[in-house]
Amino acid sequence: MQWLDAVIQGVLLGGMYAQYALGMALMFGVMRIVNIAHGDVMILLSLIAVSLAGVLPFGNLGLIVVIVPIAVVIGWILQKFILNKVVGADPLPSLIATFGLSIALQNFMLEIWSADTRSLPNSDIASASFQIGSIYVGLLPVIVLITALVLTGGLDAVLRFSRFGRGLRAAAADTEAAAMTGVDPKRIYAIATAIAVGILGLAAVFAALRATVSPSDGSAQLIYAFEAVIIGGMGSVWGAFLGAMVLGVAQAIGLRIDPGLGILFGHLVFLAVLATRPEGIMARKK
Amino acid sequence: MTSKTHHTEVVRATRSSRIAMTLCLALLLALIAMPWWASSGNIRWAIELSCYIAIAQMWNLLAGYAGLVSVGQQAFIGVSGYLLFVLAQNFGVNPFVAVLLSLIAPAILAVPTYLLLRRLDGPYFAIGTWVVAEAVRLATSNIDYVNAGAGLTLRVMTQYSQHEREVGFVLLCALLLLTTIGGSYWLLRSRIGLALTAMRDNPVAAASQGVNVGRLRFYIFIAAAVGTGFAGAIYYMAQLRITPSAGFDPFWGSMSIFIVMVGGIGAIEGVLIGALIYFLADRLFGEFGSAYLIVLGLLTLVIALYARGGVWGLMQKWGDHAWFPVRRKLIVEDTP
Repeated sequence: MQWLDAVIQGVLLGGMYAQYALGMALMFGVMRIVNIAHGDVMILLSLIAVSLAGVLPFGNLGLIVVIVPIAVVIGWILQKFILNKVVGADPLPSLIATFGLSIALQNFMLEIWSADTRSLPNSDIASASFQIGSIYVGLLPVIVLITALVLTGGLDAVLRFSRFGRGLRAAAADTEAAAMTGVDPKRIYAIATAIAVGILGLAAVFAALRATVSPSDGSAQLIYAFEAVIIGGMGSVWGAFLGAMVLGVAQAIGLRIDPGLGILFGHLVFLAVLATRPEGIMARKK
Repeated sequence: MTSKTHHTEVVRATRSSRIAMTLCLALLLALIAMPWWASSGNIRWAIELSCYIAIAQMWNLLAGYAGLVSVGQQAFIGVSGYLLFVLAQNFGVNPFVAVLLSLIAPAILAVPTYLLLRRLDGPYFAIGTWVVAEAVRLATSNIDYVNAGAGLTLRVMTQYSQHEREVGFVLLCALLLLTTIGGSYWLLRSRIGLALTAMRDNPVAAASQGVNVGRLRFYIFIAAAVGTGFAGAIYYMAQLRITPSAGFDPFWGSMSIFIVMVGGIGAIEGVLIGALIYFLADRLFGEFGSAYLIVLGLLTLVIALYARGGVWGLMQKWGDHAWFPVRRKLIVEDTP
C-alpha cells in the first residue's frame, strides 16, 4: 500500500513538473534553444504572486488572472531583447546569454525578496484533501495534475490543428523554407516563448500554493523540466507530460526508501533512460 | 635562363609571442620562488588564481574549440578532491603524491558521462552535464564512508611545516599551469590543434576534411575533466576541507563561464585576461554579494549578445599581437 501511495503522490508531483516542462519542450522544439533561466523566471513569477497576494484582494483564482499576463509580457521581452539575438545553429550564445540572465535574476531576487522561503497564504484548496481507500489525496495536487493534462492536450491540439501550429512545425523543421512559404519565424518564436512563459505563470502560482519558494530554487526546477523533456522524448508535448510523471514517481519512490534519495532517484532514472532509450520513451518514429 | 632557388621557411613565433613567452617563464619562476619572498597570504592568492586559470582554460578548450558547452565541470572538481582526501587521510598516501593519483577519478567519471551525454543535442548536452554533477553531489552526500553531507578534513597536512607545505603547493601550481596552459598551447600548435581550430570554425566542414570530430571531442572532454580535477584537488588541499556542497558547487561552472566569456573565448590570452579581471573584481567588489553577482551575470549576458570575442577580441581589433600564436606563416625568399 505504501508503494501505491508513493506512485500516486509521484504522479501528482509529476503534474507540477509537467507544467515546467511543457514550455521548455515547446521552445526547444521550435528554436533549438534552452533557456537556462527557465526555472528562475518561474520563481520570479511565484515571488511576484506572493507579494501581490498581500496587496490584491482577489483570491488565488484572481491571482492567476493577473500573473499569467505578466508572464506573457516577460516572455515577449525575453524573446525580443535576448533570444531573437541568439537563435542559431551554434548553441553557445543562447546558453551563455541565458546563463548570465539566470545568475543576474537569482541575485536580483535575493536583493528584493531576501533568501527567505515564502509561499502563498494557506487557503481552503491548498489544505483540502479526500480519501480513496486508505490513501489521502490532496485536492490542490489533483487540480495541478488536471491543469497539466488540459494544458498538454490544448497545446498538442494547437500544434496539430491551428495555423500557428502549422507555422511552428514548419519553422521547426526548416526555418528558411518556412520563411519562403510566408511563415514569419520571428513571430512564431515570439508566440512560442509567450505561451511557454505564460504556462510558467500558471505553474508559478501553483508552486507557491503547494510549497515554499525561495530565490535560489530556480536551478532545480530547470533540471526537473529538462529531465522530464528528455525522459519523455524530445519534440513531443505528450512526451514531456509522460516524462514528468515518470520523474515524479521516481522521486516519490526514492523518497520513501530514504529521505536523502528522492531527487537522486530522479537523476538516476534520467541517466538510465539516456543509457537504454536515448530517444525517450515517447519519441516520434522516424 | 637562370633558375631561381626559393628559400622557404615557416615562421611561428612573433615578437609579441617571444615577449609573452619570456614573461610567462619569469612569472612561473617567480611563482616557484614564492615561499622565499612572499607572505603566506599572497601564496594563498597565487594558488587560487592558478586554479581559476586552469579550470577556465579547460572550459575554454571544451566550449571554445570542441563545441561542448558544459555547466557541470564541478563534478570533476569534486570527485578528484574527494579521492585526494580519502587517499591521504584514510590510506596514508603522501598528500602531494595523492594529488596526482586522484586524477584517475575525473578520468574515470568523464568516460561514461561523455558516452551518455553525447546523445543529447547541443544545449541539452550542457544541462545534462549539470544533472551528472548534481547526481554525483547527491550520491556523495549519501555515502557515510566520506562522512556524507558533513565532508572531510585533511588532518594529515599538520605533519608538514608551513614552509614545506608552501613549497609543495607552489610546485603543484606550477605543474598545473604547465599542463593546462602550456599543454593547451602545445596541443593547439600541433596537428591536433589544426583539427581543433577547424572544428571550432565549422564541425561539419572539419569532418569532411578528415577530422574525426566525435573521437576528438571525446578525448578533449576527458582531458578537460582531468585538468579541471587537477585544479580542484589542489584547491581543496589548500582549503584543508571539502564538503559535497562546496566541492560540487555550480559556482565553479559560473566562474569558468564568466572568465572565458569576459576574457575572450577560443584564445588562451582570453583566459588569462578573464581570470585576472575576475580575481581582481572578486577582491574589490566581492563584499557587495548579490549586487556584484547581478553585474557579473548581466556582463556575461551583454557579452554573449554583443561582443562574443570578449576583451581579447576587442584588443585584437587594434592590432595582431598574439601572446600565444598558433598560426603558421610561410615566408618565401628568392635566393640568387
